[in-house]
Amino acid sequence: MWQQVELALSQSAHRALVTLANFLPGLLALLLAVIILTVIGALLAALFKRLLTAIRFDERLSRNSVVPLDWAPSHSPTLLVARAIFWANVILGFLIGISAFDAAYAGNSQMSFFLLPYLTHSVGAILLFIAGTLLARYLARTVLIEAVNARLQYARFLSVGVKWLVLVLTAATVLDHLEIGGTVVDLAFGILFGGIVLTLALAVGLGSRDIVSRSLEKNVDTETFPPDPAYKPPTTSETLRHF
Amino acid sequence: MASTPTNTASATPDTGSPISTGLLIHLGAVAPDVLEPTLSNLAAAFPNQSVLVAAPDIPSLNSTQFPTLNLLPYTPAAPTATNWVLTAADYLNSYKLAEEHKASACLLLGTGAHTMEPESIRNLAYATLSSSTDLVVSHYHTGAREGLVNSAVLYPLTRALFCARPRFPQAIDLGLSPRMAERLATVAQRFTASNQDDALIWPVSEASVAGFAIDEVDIPTRIFPQPAATDLNALFTQILGSLFTEIDTRASFWQRMRSIVPPRNIAPAPVPTEQLDVTSMLESFHLAYSNLHEIWALVLPPHTLLGLKRLSVMPQESFRMADNLWARIVYDFVLAYRLRTINRGHLLGALTPLYLAWVASHLILIQSGVASERHIEDVALAFETDKPYLVSRWRWPDRFNP
Repeated sequence: MWQQVELALSQSAHRALVTLANFLPGLLALLLAVIILTVIGALLAALFKRLLTAIRFDERLSRNSVVPLDWAPSHSPTLLVARAIFWANVILGFLIGISAFDAAYAGNSQMSFFLLPYLTHSVGAILLFIAGTLLARYLARTVLIEAVNARLQYARFLSVGVKWLVLVLTAATVLDHLEIGGTVVDLAFGILFGGIVLTLALAVGLGSRDIVSRSLEKNVDTETFPPDPAYKPPTTSETLRHF
Repeated sequence: MASTPTNTASATPDTGSPISTGLLIHLGAVAPDVLEPTLSNLAAAFPNQSVLVAAPDIPSLNSTQFPTLNLLPYTPAAPTATNWVLTAADYLNSYKLAEEHKASACLLLGTGAHTMEPESIRNLAYATLSSSTDLVVSHYHTGAREGLVNSAVLYPLTRALFCARPRFPQAIDLGLSPRMAERLATVAQRFTASNQDDALIWPVSEASVAGFAIDEVDIPTRIFPQPAATDLNALFTQILGSLFTEIDTRASFWQRMRSIVPPRNIAPAPVPTEQLDVTSMLESFHLAYSNLHEIWALVLPPHTLLGLKRLSVMPQESFRMADNLWARIVYDFVLAYRLRTINRGHLLGALTPLYLAWVASHLILIQSGVASERHIEDVALAFETDKPYLVSRWRWPDRFNP
């Protein structure tokens, strides 16, 4: 009996060591791919940064009114391009590494069959989440500033509503991408998205009541009302010339 | 210093035959219905002198109608759709025409030149033809409610940073010496080469950087073309975005400039009798104060935010934005534009309500009897006084943050 236990243990240890031996080259390939591509990315990023600075890329872009002003607010477009190149290389390194890892693992374990697609989906989901969060913040600020300048009293409410619309959409897309939740996510997203849209529509509708009434009043024939001798036409700022 | 030449019409000898001055007058954009009045105006301005007049795509006119004007219809090398301000295309076209016809000076007149007095055009031409001046800028006599962006930002900033006197840095009627026209065309070509024909150029800062002589000529009457877009945010992005970029580009120059522009003589102006309604502008500011405070906090230092807090509780009758508060706000926005603290479109959008607060304060002040030009000079002086603040923050944005 003891011999059988010893055999089982040695076989188990052997299997574990074989698995580890199979695992290590893949891991090494993954690390190597990431490191090499990171170095290449850093070199390319530095090269592009120098090149774009030489051709005054920032200046040209900021003076071109057709191009929307920088999406990454705290960085210059040159820096943004350089960083995009760097991170694209890092991600490419990961993809190549994972692919190598997969090749090293393929015939020996069922783990890669489940883990690797999920890993690649996770990378996509993280990118979606980052993009969605940035877009939500950008749109929320845009709406807030535009609404304030349009003198809408419910500017903040509108801005928060737009922000949550984008965030809910992002969350639903991320979960869908990760294949988590199934139909529950679709249903919850529909309810939440519809609810926010309805709330915003009600808020805007009720908030704009005065604007609509004033607009309708303007269309009413004023000659039907007797002129008020005490009425003074309001002086407006329409005669102001800003330019 | 505003040049006030003597009556040039009487100074010009009447020999009967026109004298060539070598002057080229470039009309930026002329609508067909005002072409004839514009040419009549020019003919009246130069009765005994032969001048070249270039205008894009003008129809053939009876040459005997304006015998002193040598009309040059041309197809613009760079087209422009903007006619309320001079663009890169205008400067490039002017230089090419001046070079082609070997003009000794160039007069660039914007849309609505037919509303200027002939004497004003003549003064502008004579100041340009004088050998000592490279850039002659029009000094318009606008009303208290006109050109407010210029009064609030463009003039004080240009004066403080570039130590240049012109009251209208983006005047649409300019006189250019050949070397000034060439310099502006070189800058313009950078934009037109990348299809940015409508990009703005800042001739006053260009002249200051080049060390060229700048002069001003009074233009008492003129009707100004207005931008087609009424959205203040879009116009702010176009005008202030361009100026802030120019300031960023010229940082090494203006940080060294220390001279102070001598104060102007301000004639007392009558108190406006018409009631000024600033309620909507103040409402805009109050709404922005309660909603945009977080965004302003990213751009403005605590001391300025405290000033805005005080401003937000002021009653309308005594609403007054201090000149140094406004100067610091503008400087902080210039700095935030450079540092890209927030998206630049958002930044300029967040400045709009603060500008409206300044306009409200300015209008209330002139209603109380202060001359509009006096206040604008005080604002410009505040910008000059606070220039070290901008220089310090520009150099050490993290270390120097009061």
